[in-house]
Amino acid sequence: MKINNVILASTLSALVGTTAFADISIMYRGQFGSLIDPGIDAFEAATGETVERIALPVDGYDDRIALDIASGTAPDVLHIDTGFVQRLSANGNLHALNGMADKWDQWQYYPEATLNATSVGGQVYALSTDTDARMLWYSKKAFEAAGIETPWMPKTWDDVFAAAEAIKEATGTQNALVIPAGTKQEEATTMQGFYMVLLGADTPEGDMNRLRNRETGQWIGKSPALKRALEFYHKAYIEDGLAEPGDQYSNDVGAFMRQGLIEGDVGIWASGSWENNCIWDCGGTNLPPQAERDEVVHWAPFPGSGVEGAPEFSNISAGWTIAVNEASENKELAEQLLMAIFDRENFEPWVLENGRMAVRSDIAATDAYKSDAFFAAVTPLNEKTTKRDAVPGYYYVSSQVQKMTADILDGVSVDDALEEYYEALVDEFGEEAVAVYE
Amino acid sequence: MQDTQKSYTTAIILALIALIWVSPFSWLAVNAVNPEADGSLSWPNSVGFQNFAEAMSGQAGGQFMNSLFLSILTSTLTVIIAVFAAYPLSRLKIPGRNAFLWALVLLRMLPATGVIVPIFFTAKSTGMLNLVGVAIAITMLNLPFTLLLLKNFFDTVPVELEEAAYSEGASFFQIMRNVMLPMSRAGIAVVWFFSFTTAWNEFLLPLIFVRKTADFPMSVGLFASFGEHSSVNYGFLASYSILYAVPAVAVYFLLRRNLNTGFAGVGVKG
Amino acid sequence: MLASAHPWLKRDWPLLVCLSIPAILAVGLLLYMAGWVLVMSFTDLSLFGRKATEWSFIGLENYERLFTRRGFLESLWVTVIFTFFSSIIGQNILGFVLAGTLRNQPGLLRSSIESAVILGWVLPDVVAAFLWSATFTPNGLVDLAILQPLSIETRNLINDHPLLIVILANIWKGTAWSYILYSAALDSVPREVSEAAKVDGATPMQRMFFITLPMIKSHIATNCLFITIGSFVYFPLIFALTGGGPGTKTQVLSIFVYNESFSVGKLGYGSAISVAMLIIVAIMSIFYVRLLREPK
Repeated sequence: MKINNVILASTLSALVGTTAFADISIMYRGQFGSLIDPGIDAFEAATGETVERIALPVDGYDDRIALDIASGTAPDVLHIDTGFVQRLSANGNLHALNGMADKWDQWQYYPEATLNATSVGGQVYALSTDTDARMLWYSKKAFEAAGIETPWMPKTWDDVFAAAEAIKEATGTQNALVIPAGTKQEEATTMQGFYMVLLGADTPEGDMNRLRNRETGQWIGKSPALKRALEFYHKAYIEDGLAEPGDQYSNDVGAFMRQGLIEGDVGIWASGSWENNCIWDCGGTNLPPQAERDEVVHWAPFPGSGVEGAPEFSNISAGWTIAVNEASENKELAEQLLMAIFDRENFEPWVLENGRMAVRSDIAATDAYKSDAFFAAVTPLNEKTTKRDAVPGYYYVSSQVQKMTADILDGVSVDDALEEYYEALVDEFGEEAVAVYE
Repeated sequence: MQDTQKSYTTAIILALIALIWVSPFSWLAVNAVNPEADGSLSWPNSVGFQNFAEAMSGQAGGQFMNSLFLSILTSTLTVIIAVFAAYPLSRLKIPGRNAFLWALVLLRMLPATGVIVPIFFTAKSTGMLNLVGVAIAITMLNLPFTLLLLKNFFDTVPVELEEAAYSEGASFFQIMRNVMLPMSRAGIAVVWFFSFTTAWNEFLLPLIFVRKTADFPMSVGLFASFGEHSSVNYGFLASYSILYAVPAVAVYFLLRRNLNTGFAGVGVKG
Repeated sequence: MLASAHPWLKRDWPLLVCLSIPAILAVGLLLYMAGWVLVMSFTDLSLFGRKATEWSFIGLENYERLFTRRGFLESLWVTVIFTFFSSIIGQNILGFVLAGTLRNQPGLLRSSIESAVILGWVLPDVVAAFLWSATFTPNGLVDLAILQPLSIETRNLINDHPLLIVILANIWKGTAWSYILYSAALDSVPREVSEAAKVDGATPMQRMFFITLPMIKSHIATNCLFITIGSFVYFPLIFALTGGGPGTKTQVLSIFVYNESFSVGKLGYGSAISVAMLIIVAIMSIFYVRLLREPK
């Protein structure tokens, strides 16, 4: 027992002695270290201040932010998903950055659309590190086997189904057309899957093709678009057997689909612009040249349904941002740290090396970016893009969307799944906050 | 004759169980030594230890020390607190003590995400947002169970031994040191190892408590293998998990001789 | 209570009280937190947004939801099956048998089995999920080692038998605990008692059922309670391996809680589900408590 006490006492005292406070702190996802770390280094060198770096993994990141914000222990600078900007600013937890426009000559390179994505009520609450686009990725091997010409340019959903049927016929694959579904994949189901189908299911007028009517602020509980989107899932997973429901729950869905695309076991997969790297190596270190990649997999815009008024193709974007904590006592320094991270010297190489879609006009206009074949092809998609409805309540709706697709995979009928979705929304938000369109 | 045959059969069955038990580890082994690990179960084209080098570079060394510190502190704290509280629980006929202990053990079912909110705020207001705070929190969460466990082991120690020691004029601490603790060595080893592995594997509490990157334990470091868009660095994951799991197994073997003392062997004569 | 206590306890009771203070404080803190969770279960508190600060009491609404929403009762059933077969049958019996047989085995065999069993126990769940998925997927271990040589058509066994596979995974992951506890418990059975019975001509089975088991029954009850609780709240491995699917075939309550509440930050509702789970296990554990009753 005595020895234990000695260990205890010495370790306790050792710990007390090591607590030191830095001038300013930043919390970020470890994977963005290649952008943020050199930015911090530059900031430290320029100002002589020290920065406490808290690099965290994906898991538990949201919990930690929520608790830190709620208890007032959050760092000065926060690296957050675009979806979180609304979530936090709704409670006044983020500092408006509009003042930076006068202090920082690079502010002018943020286009209106980029700033809007991180703004609430005219106040800019965060600056984006990157953006993305969503589309259909397809396996050239599978397409060759089915005798479909590439590059493939589907115009309507019927074209997509026709191609998938041909692939299934020719190769016998269980996954000819994979639209992310089910609860396991969480936001990937909503963003890469359901919302992409929904956006193409009806006219954008009056937000008929969305989860929420942005004019009235109502969530849409029933609409022709919701029904068509579910019918799309039902056809793909149940009627035509173009995808195996069980694989949507596998341990590593991403690896399964990526490998499948390369080998021709997966025909078409709905995912995002990051796949240009991720199919080969998400880290970006072992990438074959673009031409070689294009030989094996390629992508096409996700076409609209073909019903009257539906858009030509659908696209929705997300991305990460950096924001300043409203409770920070060093907002001046925090803004300077942002400027250092987003300084073009630091920002531009990261955008190019990581294969990120540029959010700034000056970086998008560089020769290196413009000459990149993939960026050149994918950037026009984002002239017609949208964001998720990241108002409070969105993550509830999104989880219900995932559940609704899971129900379809389980064999629940379209009408029953939709009815249950509607009831869940009414239950959560009240009848007057849920719209029904016939 | 029959006996030898029987023991052979037992040995063969046990060997078979061992084989089945280790077979899933094949995935871990091939991915750890494959410098181009891709997460599939296939024979590596080349074998190398680059993954281990990658896993050990960076902060793994510091994280290992943090894990060790956290786990030893937690298990030691747990044993000290539990031993002194379990003894009266075992020897005093407090009415309803079993039901009370069982009810407390059930509290372990409360969800981490729910319990963590009050724990976090308590730790914050007492300045305990660090590894010591994590150790105290785990000790507290484990305490009902460790109390119940130790009480069970204390119950099997014959009370006559204490009587004898008392009549020879032994003090309370002498009774504990010379009778209770040696006689329930196996139980204490179990509680110690249980607390050790709980702390070793705890992820959420250190993630949320620790204020400085340098203080993170290995359980948090492991998650550096998981990137955006469900990308996984398999080589790092496999080699890091081996580095992470093996020390805990080694700790078991250090403790094992306490699980197999043979009751009669330890100081019954006192 | 104190009057009937042993004389050395009477002599040292102030010391006993002092030394119990840390435990009493910890238990008090634990009860306080449990109270907090209980209070939360009657509110609409959430982790994010407006309801994080402007929450209000909503009575029994969270509990009503449990029964009005589809899913809770189905998940409860899956959880009971999962817990019964993976813990009570699997971990418990296998752990006991291993503890009993390995005691008399030579060093190397015993150490190898122990290493494998303990390694499974300390391996992080997220990693264990990769091991298990690599064991049962097409081109996985079972496929390569058994199905393909026998020319059996490859199937995705995880999709075909998800519940069986998560049960096997939990047995593999958790048996170490029962093994360690039973090893220690068997150690506390005096060898003389067993030897004496042997001399009286009792068979090994008789010795097991009439001597050993009654002597360690409190350990058996504790172990059953603990592994039942453990399996009831077990989350990461099942979630990583099957995500509760395909469909809801492996949607145990812990995954239900996650999907229903914490993934969207609804602390109030999540707390209510947890309190309900606690009550269910409390009822189940009455069965174990009976084991503890002193014979009259």
